Amino acid sequence: MKYSYYPGCASEGTGAANYYAFLAVAKALGIELEEIEDWNCCGATVASSVIGEFPAQVVAARNLALAAKKPNDIITACSSCYAILGLANRKFAEEKFKEKANIALKEDGLAYNGNLNVRFILDVLANDIGTEKIAAAVKKPLTGLKVAGYVGCQSVKALYKEYDDPEYPSAMDKVIAALGGQPVDFENRSKCCTGSMALSAPDITITAVHPIIEGAAKAGADIIVTPCPLCQMNLDVYQGKANKQFGTNYQLPVLFITQLMALAYGLSNDLGLKYCVVSPKQKLASWL
Amino acid sequence: MSEADGIRKYDPEFTKRVYQMDNGRWVKKCMQCGICPTTCTLKGMMDHSPRRIIQLIRAGAKDEVLNSNTMWLCTSCYTCACRCPRGVPMMDIMHDLCHLAEEEGIKNNKALMSKVFYNDVANRGRVWEGGLTLKYGLKLGIGNALKLAREMQDVGMEMFKHKRIPIIPAKGIKNPSKLRAIVDKATALAKEEG
Repeated sequence: MKYSYYPGCASEGTGAANYYAFLAVAKALGIELEEIEDWNCCGATVASSVIGEFPAQVVAARNLALAAKKPNDIITACSSCYAILGLANRKFAEEKFKEKANIALKEDGLAYNGNLNVRFILDVLANDIGTEKIAAAVKKPLTGLKVAGYVGCQSVKALYKEYDDPEYPSAMDKVIAALGGQPVDFENRSKCCTGSMALSAPDITITAVHPIIEGAAKAGADIIVTPCPLCQMNLDVYQGKANKQFGTNYQLPVLFITQLMALAYGLSNDLGLKYCVVSPKQKLASWL
Repeated sequence: MSEADGIRKYDPEFTKRVYQMDNGRWVKKCMQCGICPTTCTLKGMMDHSPRRIIQLIRAGAKDEVLNSNTMWLCTSCYTCACRCPRGVPMMDIMHDLCHLAEEEGIKNNKALMSKVFYNDVANRGRVWEGGLTLKYGLKLGIGNALKLAREMQDVGMEMFKHKRIPIIPAKGIKNPSKLRAIVDKATALAKEEG
């Protein structure tokens, strides 16, 4: 299966582990990824507050126009990119929007008619690849590993009911189970971690991530996994600060779902565990 | 007469202006049921709940809306929009309000952050996360930046140790000026619409 791959800016920085793990996992599963050439930042949820919504949507749409040179679905492994690209893509169903957006895109010699699908990694894994194929590629089953699948907010809610239930998401748990791990149900599994506020208002992020980590710990999880670069960073990097503020001592490693897959597939070179602030070495000792 | 006399100043022009924004039509659709504040991630910290912001827009309470922290605290988690019985995309209204506040020159840390982020997009086509922190610090002013640096020293060190801060920016897009031309054109088209 072939997809046009949109990596997003986090893949070049704080979410580099996700980038490498995804490429390796895709190869193991026979997913062909063609990176969209010359892709630009999707603008996340902040561009519209600076330039207004329409220009922000057009900035995101430049990537759709670049991808339109091939007929494949667009895939991304970042929640925010998925939300922004997916929502911009939906707008192309409106004739007036399409016409106006294309006038702007023409400035870069581009055009787009809304014919592609924007897909999230969990959607593709659960629905295109399927759990049987995911399970078949497992070399080191994660037997006995209790995994809290933290889906966060945008990946399931921004494009409401596109591939999973926003209130009771199950796609990630299916993937975890297919790897032989034990998905745990836990409190606050889709509560927002406050995303990009980590920089402008770190105290808010610290207060927000604590109940999520606590929920996972109380449910007996060994590790947390997430598909989202911002969720991963906030839960991992701010865990120490949250512990300090709330008088707890949680040491829950936070991995990308792609890293967990790479672990189960025995792809040790592409695991990228060195990026984890909370060390996963002890919890994952049996598989490393 | 003034607010000191117990008379509130209403500004119907403000209401009209919000209605004309990209998501303004949704403001009219809200039926004030209150599901958004009950689901909101940071409602407890907001000056006015999302529901009340809608009410204040309709009432033309320009200053109360634009000077509130509400829209800046919206995390764009989309939970309220998922649960809204009328499908109102509340976070999109919040983004519009942020834009309006920006245009009115209202200062806020998140507004600074948004600008720093967007400037990277405009200049390089892609965001360099490593430089983002630095540029944001410069915008904050030296006193605030030092305070932030002190508070976040431990986090920064951990991130550095674990290679989470990209020291060198990855390359941007081939021709960022073309991207800026797209944005300029789109901005002009959006203005045309009024």
